[in-house]
Amino acid sequence: MDDRLRHWLLVVAMVVLAGVTVVGLATTSSPARDRTDALAAQLRCPVCQGESVADSPSDTATAIRAQIDEMVAAGRTDAEILDHYVARYGRWVLLDPPAQGDTLLLWLLPFIAFVAGTAAIVAHRRRDRPTPALTDDERAELQRQVSALRRAEDAT
Amino acid sequence: MTGVIGYVGIVVAAVAAGVLSVSGAVGAAGSGRMGAVARVAARVLLAGAAVAMLALVGALLTDDFSVRYIAENHSRATPFPFDVATAWAALEGSIVLWVLVLAAFTAAVARTVGRDDRLGLSALAVLGAIALFFTVLVASVANPFQMVVPVPADGPGPNPLLQNHILMAVHPPLLYIGYVGLSVPFAFGMGALGLGDAGTEWLQRTRHWTLFAWTFLTAGVAVGALWSYEVLGWGGYWAWDPVENASFLPWLAGTAFLHSAIVQARRGVLKTWNIALLISTFALTILGTFLTRSGVVASVHSFTQSDVGPALLGFLLVVLTGSLGLFAARAHLVAGTRRIDRLISREGAFLVNNLLLSVFTFVVLVGTTYPIVLEAMTGAQVSVGRPFFDRFAIPLSLLLLAAVAVGPLLPYRAASPRVVWQRLRWPLLAGLTAGAALVVTGVAVASVVAVAILATIVVSSIVVDAVRSTDGLPGRRVTAWWRLARRNRGWWGGQLAHLGVAVTALAIAVTGAMGTEISATLGIGETTALGGYTLRYEGVVRRDEPNRTVDAAQVVVLRDDVEVATLQPRLNRYRNSRQPIASPAIRTTPTEDLYLALRRLTPDEVGIEAYRYPFMWLLWAGLALIVAGGGWALTGHRDRRVRAAPTRDAEPIGEPDQVEVLTDG
Repeated sequence: MDDRLRHWLLVVAMVVLAGVTVVGLATTSSPARDRTDALAAQLRCPVCQGESVADSPSDTATAIRAQIDEMVAAGRTDAEILDHYVARYGRWVLLDPPAQGDTLLLWLLPFIAFVAGTAAIVAHRRRDRPTPALTDDERAELQRQVSALRRAEDAT
Repeated sequence: MTGVIGYVGIVVAAVAAGVLSVSGAVGAAGSGRMGAVARVAARVLLAGAAVAMLALVGALLTDDFSVRYIAENHSRATPFPFDVATAWAALEGSIVLWVLVLAAFTAAVARTVGRDDRLGLSALAVLGAIALFFTVLVASVANPFQMVVPVPADGPGPNPLLQNHILMAVHPPLLYIGYVGLSVPFAFGMGALGLGDAGTEWLQRTRHWTLFAWTFLTAGVAVGALWSYEVLGWGGYWAWDPVENASFLPWLAGTAFLHSAIVQARRGVLKTWNIALLISTFALTILGTFLTRSGVVASVHSFTQSDVGPALLGFLLVVLTGSLGLFAARAHLVAGTRRIDRLISREGAFLVNNLLLSVFTFVVLVGTTYPIVLEAMTGAQVSVGRPFFDRFAIPLSLLLLAAVAVGPLLPYRAASPRVVWQRLRWPLLAGLTAGAALVVTGVAVASVVAVAILATIVVSSIVVDAVRSTDGLPGRRVTAWWRLARRNRGWWGGQLAHLGVAVTALAIAVTGAMGTEISATLGIGETTALGGYTLRYEGVVRRDEPNRTVDAAQVVVLRDDVEVATLQPRLNRYRNSRQPIASPAIRTTPTEDLYLALRRLTPDEVGIEAYRYPFMWLLWAGLALIVAGGGWALTGHRDRRVRAAPTRDAEPIGEPDQVEVLTDG
């Protein structure tokens, strides 16, 4: 098959496959995560050592999960439910601190690090002439020589 | 008596560490016969540390309760092998183990140091200084050998969680070999800085040590995750617990260093960055020890509190100010003028790898220490948990996986779009096919599909690489590849580890997104259903063991009305603890794990949490592959001399680009 034809067939196949994937994902409504579980995962179990309410087997965590169930059933919003526990146990109870006040920096630092790192890499790059690429002939010749070298090494 | 022997051992080790540090430094400054002194000191250090550790184990085995550590952490009823493992299960013993591992590394390094080897001697001086700190720590605030008067008849035994599973006996030694092993490249890096030596000799000499330490660290983290899954019974394996993070941080930084060191060796760039990365990695091992051992974070692992915390924090500050000071003063001697030509190249891929791993390290570091620092500064108490870490870790991991997929295919210097396309098109097609196949067959979970696409690209690009590198070789392709894989272990070990990363990522995504869970309270004879299984409770069986009472709930597992297993999630009541410890029961099959954890147990009722995780074994297999990759790279012939890396600008571009020169150094 012609090289160029094969190239285009590949591209078309990739586009089709990617399209199928994206459309398939977009049209399947994944079951929303149980709200109680999602909320319980954001709350720290008040009597445990660093476990979330969702993970903890303790009686307290079990009771809190039941309370959340009731509040969800009663139509309270996520924010209201979380606020309820903050009012009761303090901000300490939130495993995902809000991006405000003294925990704003916690959110900003990763982004600052990423931007600074990217900038450093871009700045590091040598900014002079691009190195010319090998021609096909040169590349083929190189490949031949490398293979010959490897064969020679294998022979020893 | 055993206590006295152990204490003498540690004092001898401390003196030897001091002598090693001084003689190494003087020898490195160029003064005559100090090399011989340093080598002897390194051996004495190892002997002293070994005596201390053996004394501790001996005291445990002979139930010698006159030794404080034994009196506090052992009981006559503790069965083998937990009595031996108790030697490193609590604070003081774990630092004795630390000293022993460091002494062993130091003695091994000393064997490679010749008389006029200034770099080696300066590295020994740094190792001696680190050993001095830890030996003095054991001899003072963390002394396990104090006499107890009067001698108690028995002791409370080790922390129940730590005598609940055999993995806890192997996890700390693996982790410590990894942690402490990273001191060796740090010592050489500092030595090179101290000598103002801009070469890559220190990197070449430490490559093997770094890889060795990294392999053990990986195994240690993996075993920790397995322990968490098998023992803790919360249904997971990774909780972003500060102490898990403490082991993960040096792993991330060490992984970055493992990669960036290759670029320096191959292309002579990133010299200062490598030193900075190494300082960070070592400092993170000390920080990790501090977090784990000081009780500064309340977690299941921080089982103790003492003066060791402030001492470790002080040491961390000394390490940071000392090494960063040296770095600032000498970095100009090390800095190269060489830069990277193009970002789309192997070097560029390494830079991206380093950026992602460094940011990842930073995120975990910030998340772990933020509550501690904030509380210390303002008194405000906040928590940082899984939702925060996941938010950053997931995209970073996906990007890393993409880098693993593409990076190894790129040639050094500059990659023309044509070459990239040529090498990437089949893996890309394979990845997209896998993604579409999953969606069409009904697995329409975005995270799983995304990871599956990337993981397939990783795997198939490794295959493409194997095919490409055997082009034109004589004999059958598989045989030719096997010859290559044996000859170039650094490269193929790396590829094996990358394969493991792909499998691990896939397992994390699949078990995370497609697991199901149910909680139920069952009376005797009652059943509940979970994903095709029926679970029936049949009562409790009680069993008395020397150190504990075990209540095992009998849960019959049925599949299509056929009994396939009886699982026994247990409640273990240890004599020394009122709080019972629940042990989950796990049934592993090729397609999934069924995981039962007890929540409550009365004679006629059981509260259980049942989880079903598809392909859970893939996670352990993937982690094992990563460790195997490190091991394969390590088994390369150490005597083969490193070939000079091409550095001149006039060098031809292109093949061979998979040479990874350092591993045999």
